[in-house]
Amino acid sequence: MPHPLDPAMPGVNAGMRLTPKNRRVSGNPRWSDSKSLRKYSHLWFVLPGLLFFSAVMVGPALFAFVVSLTSWSGLGTDYQFIGMNNYVAAALHWPFYRAALHNLEIFVAILVFQHTFGLFVAVQLNAKPRFMQFYRTVLFLPVIVSLVSTGFIWTLMLSSNIGFINPVLHDLHLGFLAKNWLSDPQWALPTVIVVIAWNSLGWSVVLYLAGLQNIPEELQQAAQIDGANAWQTFWRVTFPLLSPSFTSLTVLTFIGTFRAFDVVYVLTGPIGSPNFSTDVLGTLIYRNAFGGSGFNNNDLRMSFAITMAIILFLLMTAVCWAMIRVLRKREIEV
Amino acid sequence: MTTLTDQARRRRRGVNSKRTKRIVAIARGLFLSLVSLMILVPIAAMFLASFKTVPDFFGNPYGLPSVWAFDNYSRAWREAHVSTTLPNTIFVTACSVLGSVFLASLIAYGLSRKEKPFAMAFYTLFVAGLLVPVQMIVLPLFILLKFFGLFGTLFALIVPYIALGLPLGVLVLTPIAATIPRDLISAAEVDGANPWQIYWRVVLPLMKPGLISVAILNGVWMWNEFFIPLIVAFKPEAQTMPVGIVAFIGAYSTEWGLVFASVVISTAPVMFAYLLMTRQFQSGLTAGAIKG
Repeated sequence: MPHPLDPAMPGVNAGMRLTPKNRRVSGNPRWSDSKSLRKYSHLWFVLPGLLFFSAVMVGPALFAFVVSLTSWSGLGTDYQFIGMNNYVAAALHWPFYRAALHNLEIFVAILVFQHTFGLFVAVQLNAKPRFMQFYRTVLFLPVIVSLVSTGFIWTLMLSSNIGFINPVLHDLHLGFLAKNWLSDPQWALPTVIVVIAWNSLGWSVVLYLAGLQNIPEELQQAAQIDGANAWQTFWRVTFPLLSPSFTSLTVLTFIGTFRAFDVVYVLTGPIGSPNFSTDVLGTLIYRNAFGGSGFNNNDLRMSFAITMAIILFLLMTAVCWAMIRVLRKREIEV
Repeated sequence: MTTLTDQARRRRRGVNSKRTKRIVAIARGLFLSLVSLMILVPIAAMFLASFKTVPDFFGNPYGLPSVWAFDNYSRAWREAHVSTTLPNTIFVTACSVLGSVFLASLIAYGLSRKEKPFAMAFYTLFVAGLLVPVQMIVLPLFILLKFFGLFGTLFALIVPYIALGLPLGVLVLTPIAATIPRDLISAAEVDGANPWQIYWRVVLPLMKPGLISVAILNGVWMWNEFFIPLIVAFKPEAQTMPVGIVAFIGAYSTEWGLVFASVVISTAPVMFAYLLMTRQFQSGLTAGAIKG
């Protein structure tokens, strides 16, 4: 890193030279020293956090990259540098694609759910019905419940042993609807998606409601006076003005669903049972790095797991960056 | 033009007659109650399950417990190690929230003038931390913690929590720090305050709403965090509640009553805080999202 006091650094003087005041000061040799020191004085406040962050995040991230170039298993001191082999292996590792596909399915399902159902609920709340405060409080409640607790709550609802839903269905003479929700390969992933939807509905409701309340009523009234019906007003006026909520919700959902781990771990275990049908990137990486039930130490491939985590990080960074760029463009200032 | 708008108005008045309005309001109320019920039933089931005896789980899956097993809680306290993991969770969350809010407020103040050198670069660096999957850094962290002898202590959780809490804190607080009027800071300078005093006496009090947002935002995930303690904490002495519960169920997989008593104990404090400060929680938790 270049020295922070190096005046030759690009960017240091950019924008500063333009004002006549600065030119005068930098032209005065007696003042330039203390002035340039002052220019960096704000960094003293950044320093403690930066050192801490470097030691605990940046350093380990760089170290992780070095480990990804080795064949280290995570146990013992036996390792060799194998270059990009882990990256090639990950690109050819089909469970990686299977897990990524499950993440993608969860993401798309939750995204659609939040932008349709969540938006609809928010619009209903925005009409200020009676007990609005109550609904709002209740709907956001699952967001503060941990994903582990959510997993246990839904184990209680869905389990074939202690489950709540199947006996209710049987007693309502709807027994044909009862399923082995979490152990039927066909139903396990949709069930996990429903549980995540339950946990995250509050985000879309509160974000969209905040967006709706920010829209000046005059705009909607103006549209109505111009002869637009409710449907047209919503799609032509309201929805475009909600695009900041749309952007943050989409990015938030993306980060959340591609990081999914806790819910799957509690609901279907670290191997994403049954038969890996709920295996996501989080559990796949965890299993390779630390083992899981049915795995022994020979299966541990720490460097490989770290490689997959790095790929996930690069992928998420690229997608988030692209999303923010594309979605911000369609945002309109009120 | 006028005839058209008049026509439209008349049509609207017809549609929005009192009766349709009432039907719509009733339908809306029904719909919202139904959705609320879908949220509340599983939570109520969790509370009920925490009072059930084991045979009740199988013989009486829904409905009230046939025997109210209040001792589930005292047994969970002793047998499921809640007596250790609950104080651990409180201590870890408190330390990590204070640490991350304090460091993030310092950073935010330092980076609040966009035009200052490195401000944007460091801001980007911190915010990029939001995207780092924990799996990527957890192993090097493991080695680091072992090196400093923190392994097996609660600091093995506090140190990574503070670091992972910084990105959100910087993201939320920097724009807030940037809105503090410069005149106020130069006035304090003229009055002879040193930079630390300016931060402590002028900037920090003005950032208070933001600090509360960040404390809630970080506090909730730190209280609920599962992955890091799963990797770093093996013994109850160093565990927080979410991992403690999962570890307990691994050991005694049939004691469902105790499991749900523990789940209630771990969820209730956050829920209680949320019900007390619903507004702050909702605006605090979404503050990060909107800025992002």
